[in-house]
Amino acid sequence: MIRKHNRRAAKAAFAVALGVALVLGGAAAAPAALEKGQATPIIIGTKNFPEQYVLGQLYKQALEAKGLKVQYKENIGSTELIDASLRSGRVTLYPEYTGIMLAVTFKKTTLPKSALGTYRAAKALYEKRGQTLLKATPFQDRDGIAVLRTTASKYGLKTVGDLRKVPDLTLAAFPEFETRWLPQLASRYGVKNVEFTPLAGISSYTLLSQGKVEAAGIFTTDPQLISSKYVVLQEPRNMFGFQQVAPVLSKKLVSEYGSTLTSTLNKVNSLLTLRAMIAMNKAVALDKKSAASVARAFLKANKVT
Amino acid sequence: MIVAALDVFVDSLQFIVDERDLLLEKTLEHIVVSAAALLVAIAIAVPLGIALGHLHRGSLVAVNVANIGRALPTLVVIAVGFIFLGIGFTTVMFALVVLAVPPILTNAYVAIDEVDGDAVEAARGMGMTPSQVLWRVELPLALPLLFVGIRTAAVFVVATATIAAIAGGSGLGEILVNQAAYDVEGLVAAAICVSLLALAADGALGVLQRWLTPPGLKEEVPTFEPDVRPVV
Amino acid sequence: MAEPVIPDFGEASDCVAENRLFCTDWVRENWDPVLQPALVEHIKLTVIAVGVGFVLSLVAALLAHRFRHVERPVAFLSAVIYTIPSLALFQLLVPVTGLTVTTVEIALVGYTLLILFRNNLAGLRSAPPEVLEAARGMGLTQNQTLWRVELPLALPAIVAGLRIAVVSTIALATVAAFVVSEGLGGPILGALRLDFRTEIIAAGALAVGLAFLADVLLVLAQRAVTPWATARRLT
Repeated sequence: MIRKHNRRAAKAAFAVALGVALVLGGAAAAPAALEKGQATPIIIGTKNFPEQYVLGQLYKQALEAKGLKVQYKENIGSTELIDASLRSGRVTLYPEYTGIMLAVTFKKTTLPKSALGTYRAAKALYEKRGQTLLKATPFQDRDGIAVLRTTASKYGLKTVGDLRKVPDLTLAAFPEFETRWLPQLASRYGVKNVEFTPLAGISSYTLLSQGKVEAAGIFTTDPQLISSKYVVLQEPRNMFGFQQVAPVLSKKLVSEYGSTLTSTLNKVNSLLTLRAMIAMNKAVALDKKSAASVARAFLKANKVT
Repeated sequence: MIVAALDVFVDSLQFIVDERDLLLEKTLEHIVVSAAALLVAIAIAVPLGIALGHLHRGSLVAVNVANIGRALPTLVVIAVGFIFLGIGFTTVMFALVVLAVPPILTNAYVAIDEVDGDAVEAARGMGMTPSQVLWRVELPLALPLLFVGIRTAAVFVVATATIAAIAGGSGLGEILVNQAAYDVEGLVAAAICVSLLALAADGALGVLQRWLTPPGLKEEVPTFEPDVRPVV
Repeated sequence: MAEPVIPDFGEASDCVAENRLFCTDWVRENWDPVLQPALVEHIKLTVIAVGVGFVLSLVAALLAHRFRHVERPVAFLSAVIYTIPSLALFQLLVPVTGLTVTTVEIALVGYTLLILFRNNLAGLRSAPPEVLEAARGMGLTQNQTLWRVELPLALPAIVAGLRIAVVSTIALATVAAFVVSEGLGGPILGALRLDFRTEIIAAGALAVGLAFLADVLLVLAQRAVTPWATARRLT
């Protein structure tokens, strides 16, 4: 008799556990199952810095204003990570820089000598993979190296090659910088033996102003550069390439959503001049406005929403 | 899904082999930082906890300090440290010590406070002075529970040191917060290393605990005994 | 091509420009878009994790209560999981379940298991033998004894365990920001990157405040569930 009660209790316990496991499994699998049956969802992803948040919000809000349903995954990470997400379908659209497309996503070592050439080469490569590019922005956001104005006067630094004059040069930048640019910095400009600090959570400008490093990898649309505290070193050989922004998206999105999607995003992109992008970056990075509200104001002022 | 994961795990094992120098260096850094912070925390919390427990004072604070410590999110402590101390070693130490002190303090207090009153009475009856009572009776009896607090703190410290890497810390956390530089395989490799480190630290302290527990008290010292004893 | 209109996004207040510790204007402006959603996400993460963890650990405790040999392996496994640093556990799960909320939830559930299992089991075992004898004497079956005697007597320990689990999970959920942009950890990480003190303090205060609030509520629940123990309340 006792054994019967034991068995019942055990059965009840197992039933509950199985139920929980099924619910958990179902909850995890359901979104994937749903997606297979319907049209390709618009899932916008962004990398992990303010300019990307602004671009993502601009695209998201513009498409939503046209009645399209958009999922939004901010802050995914570096190029490699977000491209992996694109290929696996976790993300179906994201804003990318044309030079990065060639250098990082497709691992080309020689880059075209013009912005248009870069765009065309990247587009051709993406189309072989089932993706494509929409129109590119007027502005470019290129890599660069900045130093404090005081450092520049101390060593007489004008171009990137002048960094050879700095003994035991310390440089901080996003981790990708080390593999992407340091070798070329050595081979094209002779700047060798750089002590590299990868940025994990703190901005390179903080490190520069706190005196922790002498040089920092920056981007030409960083609003901090408005201040006269920093000097961007010239880079005459165009090693850093050309970097307009174009939305990378799955070809299915173009065929399924047509011009509602493509012309909206093209319109948004055409508005993004260098001045506009820097102004929006300043609002988010320096004035600490939220990317969503900045994008909203910009789209409204330009009659997109 | 699982098959793809197996690929990554195999790759990460390859990473461990290929990059064993790097991983060794980072593991040693991690151990040094963790051990230093733990020692500082012990130096602060143990005397304080024992003193309060011996005098049976400050119970409200001492007992609840562990609850407060548990409620402090690691990231918040690190971020606050960053605001006032900038990036670097000081911030990391600050965060580690702040999170390690509460469990040690509470356990030290409760351990001494709850020593069997009869044993203390008997000792006093035998003519021992208060400090002899402390050193010869209270401390040995309190050792197991005190050690539980130190083991909990050790595990907290190893875990926090991992996250503190974003504020300029060193150690295996440097790999774990640098998704872009090291790719998934590197992160999984570092995750495996730091997990083994935490388990080893807890195990080692467990062995030490067993060794230091007076023979009469060698109740079973379980492997992995985080301070979550049933509380009513 | 016409130049776009660049609206005035509003200058940063002096407070933000000087990066003071806490700028009420920024908090007010960004409560809706940034802070409140993060808070809600954080609460959701916690509730799901503790809920699932509670169900699993209760089942395990019930099993361990009946079959003694279940206790050791479950306690060992949950202790091992608990000892693994949170960031490491997240990254170990990422290859399997991706950069998603699922990964975060699995890890958070794992961390609650030890506390909840230990407390649930201790609670179930806390029924005094005389009471169990009396129940058997009255003719109650084992199941009836479980539902009418052992579980009610286990409530204090169960609620105490929930209290610890909820507070720990709230604290741990901030680390989720390293995997997916949900919860209060997101604004904190972002603010660290921009060196923006107000956001750190605001999001941090919310996380700590949430933990304390949950703790207080659960202490009250604990007291409500043990009216007979109020007499011998020591802490």
